[in-house]
Amino acid sequence: MKSPLKSILLRHETVLLLILTAEWWFFSAAGRNFGTLDNTFDIIRHSVEIGLLALAMTAVVLTGGIDLSVGSLLGLCAVLLGMFWRDAHLTMRVAAVLTLLAGALAGGFNAALITWLRLPPLIVTLGTFSLFRGLAEALTHGVDTFTGFPEAFLFLGQERWLGLPAQLPIFLLFAAGIWLLIHRTTFGRSFRALGFSAEGARYAGIPVERRLAMVYVLAGLTAALAAIVYTARLGQAKADAGTGYELLAITAVVLGGTSIFGGSGSVAGTLLGVAAIAVLNNGLVHTRQPREVAGMLTGLLLLAALSGSVLLKRLATVRQRWQSPPEATERTSS
Amino acid sequence: MTRYFRETSVALALAALLLVLAGFAPSFYQAQPLLSLAAREAPALVVTCGMALVLICRQIDVSLGSQLSVCSVAAGLLASLHWPLGLILPGSILLGAAFGALNGALVAGLGLPSIVVTLATMVTWREGLRWLRQGVWVELPEGAQWFGLSQTAGQWTLIGVALTLLALLALAMKHLAAGRFVYAVGSDAEAARLAGIGPQRVTFAVFVLAGALTGLAALMNVAQSPQVDPNSGTGLELKTIAAAVVGGVAISGGRGNLWGALAGLVLLACVGPALTHLRVEAYWEKATHGAVILLAVVADGWRGRRLKVS
Amino acid sequence: MMTPVFEFQTSRSKVQGSGAFHFLGWQFLAPNLNPAPNPNPNEPVTRRRLGAGLRLGLGEFSWLLSPLGPGRRRFGCLTLAGLTLLAGCNQNPDSTANNPSGKALRAGGAKKTTIALLPKSKGNAYFISCTKGAQRAARDLGIDLLFDGPTDPDPARQNEIVENWITLGVDAIAAACENKDGISSALRKARAKGIKVITYDADSLPSAREFFVNQATPQGIGYILMDEAARLCHTQGEFAVITGSLTAANQSEWRSYVLERRAALYPGMKMAALRPCDDLKDKAQSEATSLLAAYPNLKLFLSTTSLGVPGAAEAVKQAGKAGQVKVIGLGLPNENRRYVKEGVTDSVILWKTEDLGYLAVQAACALVQGTLKPGAKTFKAGALGEFQVQGDNIMLGKPFIFNKDNIDQFDF
Repeated sequence: MKSPLKSILLRHETVLLLILTAEWWFFSAAGRNFGTLDNTFDIIRHSVEIGLLALAMTAVVLTGGIDLSVGSLLGLCAVLLGMFWRDAHLTMRVAAVLTLLAGALAGGFNAALITWLRLPPLIVTLGTFSLFRGLAEALTHGVDTFTGFPEAFLFLGQERWLGLPAQLPIFLLFAAGIWLLIHRTTFGRSFRALGFSAEGARYAGIPVERRLAMVYVLAGLTAALAAIVYTARLGQAKADAGTGYELLAITAVVLGGTSIFGGSGSVAGTLLGVAAIAVLNNGLVHTRQPREVAGMLTGLLLLAALSGSVLLKRLATVRQRWQSPPEATERTSS
Repeated sequence: MTRYFRETSVALALAALLLVLAGFAPSFYQAQPLLSLAAREAPALVVTCGMALVLICRQIDVSLGSQLSVCSVAAGLLASLHWPLGLILPGSILLGAAFGALNGALVAGLGLPSIVVTLATMVTWREGLRWLRQGVWVELPEGAQWFGLSQTAGQWTLIGVALTLLALLALAMKHLAAGRFVYAVGSDAEAARLAGIGPQRVTFAVFVLAGALTGLAALMNVAQSPQVDPNSGTGLELKTIAAAVVGGVAISGGRGNLWGALAGLVLLACVGPALTHLRVEAYWEKATHGAVILLAVVADGWRGRRLKVS
Repeated sequence: MMTPVFEFQTSRSKVQGSGAFHFLGWQFLAPNLNPAPNPNPNEPVTRRRLGAGLRLGLGEFSWLLSPLGPGRRRFGCLTLAGLTLLAGCNQNPDSTANNPSGKALRAGGAKKTTIALLPKSKGNAYFISCTKGAQRAARDLGIDLLFDGPTDPDPARQNEIVENWITLGVDAIAAACENKDGISSALRKARAKGIKVITYDADSLPSAREFFVNQATPQGIGYILMDEAARLCHTQGEFAVITGSLTAANQSEWRSYVLERRAALYPGMKMAALRPCDDLKDKAQSEATSLLAAYPNLKLFLSTTSLGVPGAAEAVKQAGKAGQVKVIGLGLPNENRRYVKEGVTDSVILWKTEDLGYLAVQAACALVQGTLKPGAKTFKAGALGEFQVQGDNIMLGKPFIFNKDNIDQFDF
């Protein structure tokens, strides 16, 4: 039997935690002002939207699906928030609630196509990726920007509350909620079952369509929440908000050890993945490296983490076979 | 009708669009602009063939756009050093094949999911190219445009090369055993393995082929203008995936053919000019694009559902 | 039988509990301070329940340390790990947060002045040439130039870079603002920490910076584009505008001034169409080809993006309409030289981008050293000489028209 310590060390999240710690140490030593509290808060503030998207994406990827439209939906929801507030003259709170509803509806649109018509999530969300961004551009005629939001709203994205960045409590609450959903409820278990085998889940009595719809609606809702935080942080809403965020979210999810085929994964891994990427990006600025290096290193880190997992598993299998040869090869000499 | 339902439906949609244009915007049908547009889309067609093959094999490759950018810049730099075409052509193809081999080794050799591997390589090549070139264009020497031919001859050459390649690959997929292997591995890799087809080898070969096709497309791209823009491959992967999927290639692998992908590419490529000719505002383009993709797949799903129910 | 919708149980094994209670449909297991002996020795050790809430947080990470045993030992190790991580922080406590004068960088000895230059995006030849000028200024002045910019089109990236520079503790920031309002909040923060802020090429809100190095007013740019277009078309005809992207704020501003000038002075001209090219030369070419076909009376292409001019020129050339359809726009001489010489592109309008970068860095450095103060009327920028200061705008001069006669004199 494998020693428990080895099974812990070989676990993906542990490797990621080690990488994160190594990054932190390296940048603290090599960069200037990296390890300060101000900078840590900066890292947190810059990665909250991607963190939110990555958390929702974890649930989606667990079911074996993918959602490429969350970045575009962030842009659309930001534009809608601006329109509700400025053109429809609603209060910020009402506008925010309506935006969340709109996000959930858009997620529901994805869900309807995926569950009702049994279309592959990749291609549906590829279509809505263009569609949502296109709608955002059409609503603003491409050029319109919504600015001048009330101070109380901007506080959410830019100021500190009780010494911590104001969006952090939202993020922590959301992360706790997602963690509960995925790891402690029957819903979460059904997501894994779905990802592992949709047909098997169906025979086990899990309402497959409803659960799938749930994850995509959740993804839409999260994109709307991220849009609210993004608009508060930036102080303006434009149609190109959130460009490229879906890829960063997927990178964080996969880096965190969630299998892209579905069935296994953890929220802790996703959070560590988001942290690793955010620390890498921030640290490279502090060591005065150009932005392109951050992109390249993120790509290489992703490859290294994945290849490392697979190679370690293979190494473990090889060693196991070498140490205790399987029964079938033991032949009694006759 | 039923066997090639998807491909015929896309062709019908394309025909419908062309009819609408003939009715409302006859200015679309002019020889020279259409020829220019076709020559512009020829590299994209070659890449779409490669992408369709990868999709049929139940993989995906989102790094083809970045590969095109890198190969374009490399080909441009070689051309500016006055290397002959006979060396630049294999050079570009080999470079593309090398990128494809890297993707293939990671996907087939280590069993990593292709979307993640190609996502990582896409970001790496794109940022690496930006870092090296810093956005500076490559100036090509005189006479490098259109391979030294006249403009019309050059355009027809490019279109001819793309279509010939498409026809050859389509025939190979249908009649060569290797083509059958791709469909087999895409349908069910385990069954293919049991039948004696090595899925890893087939997957690796498909990635290398897609990369090589991208290298060729890069050279075709470079030949069309006197300068090389290092951002030329941006958005190409999504365009080709959309074209292939609209044309009937299934994301889940094992189904679809290259003629459908051609129809899909032509349909999507006509959307932009159609909007211009129909005097529709530019900001509707992305939404229309997305709507076309969704309509195509929804029609697919609707038919699938009806078949299942009946 | 209906199973409960929500269930709450440990991830390892259910504690043989001393009772359960329900709350809002959730079934909680009451804390059990005397855990039952582990019935299955092969199962991982059951955690002692200190309370449902506390365990939630540590639960996911305690698998790391379960081999070490339960309770205090594990908690101790976690605390140790946390302290180690914290020890990695605060190694460089010289943040400028408490030092409004921003001179903390020079406290430790002869540290160079650091000026951070932010372009709209990296990999853009226009900003590369600005940076060349900036680097020359940095060499002349003997200061440190930090150049970084967003590589992706998301509007928030510029803010993030500025905020990172605030923590890094630079002396001054020279920014070309993609989003006027969005970046102003970050720049205001920088000013609050004592960092000097100037903008160049594209302004932020005036309250967020001390000076704006203006190459030309947006009005000036729009007017000169329209005037040049009218001159080439003899004030009659249709023209098409190619822009980088519909969301680019400065380009839409220039466009609005073009249209304003048209309405005021050239009613015989008409903007037939507007197409974006996503800042891709190839797409600009395709769009221009379609426009040429769709609008047979088109007389001129006006491009507000430097990628659009060679793209439109190539389209006009391939359509065989060189000379009939004029091409003008904002662009760099090097990228358009070939077409200008061939007569396909008539005028390329720009300003001396290297001088813009040079001036920006000179102004930023002067601000840091205190030689440039608000209210100044002129500013002497090193080798370039004197520049006018109008209010808080340092004027580089007028846009320059590059055409066949003078394009060879420039190399950028």
